[in-house]
Amino acid sequence: MGRISFGQQGFFVIGAYAAGMATALGGAPLAAGVLVGGLAAALAGAGFALVMGPRRGIAFAAGTLAFGELARVALLAFRFQVLVGADLVGPAGPDGFRGIRLLFTSGLPLGAYAVAIWVALAAIMAALTWLLRARPGEALVIVGQDEGLAAAAGIRVARVRVLALAAAGGLAGLGGGLLAHYATYVEPGHADVMLGVHSLAYGLIGGLGTPIGPALGVALDIGLLESFRVLRGYRMIIFGGLVVVFLAMRPRGLLDEATVHRLARRLRRRVA
Amino acid sequence: MVDFVQALVDGAMLGATYSLLGLGFTLIFGVLRRLNLAFGPTILVGIYAGSATHLLWPGWFPAAAGATVGSALLAGTYVERCAFRVLARHPPVVAMISSFAVSMQLQELVALLAPSRTMAYPTPAWLSPIELGPILLRADGLLMWGGATLITALLFGVLYHTRLGRAIRAASDSAEAARLMGVDVAAAGVAAFLLASAVGGIAGVLIAASHQQVTPYFGLWATVKGLTAMLLGGAGSLLGAVAGGLVLGVVETQTLAYLGGQYRDLVAYALLLLAVALPPARPGGDL
Repeated sequence: MGRISFGQQGFFVIGAYAAGMATALGGAPLAAGVLVGGLAAALAGAGFALVMGPRRGIAFAAGTLAFGELARVALLAFRFQVLVGADLVGPAGPDGFRGIRLLFTSGLPLGAYAVAIWVALAAIMAALTWLLRARPGEALVIVGQDEGLAAAAGIRVARVRVLALAAAGGLAGLGGGLLAHYATYVEPGHADVMLGVHSLAYGLIGGLGTPIGPALGVALDIGLLESFRVLRGYRMIIFGGLVVVFLAMRPRGLLDEATVHRLARRLRRRVA
Repeated sequence: MVDFVQALVDGAMLGATYSLLGLGFTLIFGVLRRLNLAFGPTILVGIYAGSATHLLWPGWFPAAAGATVGSALLAGTYVERCAFRVLARHPPVVAMISSFAVSMQLQELVALLAPSRTMAYPTPAWLSPIELGPILLRADGLLMWGGATLITALLFGVLYHTRLGRAIRAASDSAEAARLMGVDVAAAGVAAFLLASAVGGIAGVLIAASHQQVTPYFGLWATVKGLTAMLLGGAGSLLGAVAGGLVLGVVETQTLAYLGGQYRDLVAYALLLLAVALPPARPGGDL
């Protein structure tokens, strides 16, 4: 909806902590735990929208930066340990939250976990694509372009903002919960502003406006990461330079909406 | 009561450097209407250059200070060209993202070139603490406060008593009106950027000298402090940045004294969030 966020890492880590607490402290099953993480992060997103929603541009972006760092610093002070069996488990401030073992103690093979994640990702991308083509997507785009016009057209702008930010937070939170179980721990350091900037860059480089863009961005970055292992130390310099170049030359990214539509049309013509 | 006043004094001294950082931000924001998130990393390059100079030629403080300001100016020029001049016609947020990307480059550059992560930074030897009754004015605090006040005064002198300063202020007030009056707004923007980099460099000298060391975390830390100071005082206002810096310094020190280190950063970021969340002073304007 026409806003830039540096704060996705905040939602990511909130989801991770919440999911970890659900399974390690609350005894929830894996899927439920991850969903709880997503829900917690979605609530945080909605809350953020209520506070910062009306702001745009630089103010909004600065607010997301503040939020991300606030989450990190708050988690540094967050201690909540409960006796589970014979050990004290739970968030331990700067030492993080260790012992999120449900993935490994449940006997689920890691391959199945990976497949489940990919399936879920595909489902979410399909849902987003459908949603963006339908009414909600149009409302989102109009709110992004001109909020006054959107309100005049009868769109409930505040509601769109809350839902959009809840969705953004929730998705990041799901990711956080999944990572927490894979890594068996999560710590405040995971809310690194670099993570947020990378998530932003994935969209900027891969393409804004459709779910395919960020996926391409991730593929490029992880691909770049691997191929640039030779130039390991210069990764940030190259990545940063790429972002600068893209912003100057192709601000909507590689696979922006126009390109995706053109490709889709060409595909449909060939198939039909 | 004494503790409160002591924390107040310490906070004011710390706040003076935050004011400098805020002034640097305000100079750039005032003319260009854009946030430079690479501001902190620009100074980071400077202070590491200063540390490196100290390593090579120890015992001569002005050399390190000069290297710091000079390198900050160089880094600032790079940022200005890459992230701001090129994106002058794009929306302000784009330059903000680009400046963050450039800041990543600068941080990595420092990490690559610095012999070790934390390096020592020299301090002028002739400073000693002053005692005013029960209140102690620490030497490093005096350095920060004295240096910051001096540079702030110089900066205001430049801005209010030179043609360049007038051009910068005019461009800040209204770029269109300034252009109509014959002011080269683009050049004023570059000048403001360089001025901000120099002020930032000096702030870096003062902070690094008072801490006697430099760490890589300084980059984002300085950016956040400067941004908060500017926003607390009302974005775009020079006096506001000074006041905002002082308020931030005092609030931080008092929080540290009464609630401990964990809550100090929490309160600082909460302040920043509050400052951004409040509606803009001008209707229709956002920051």
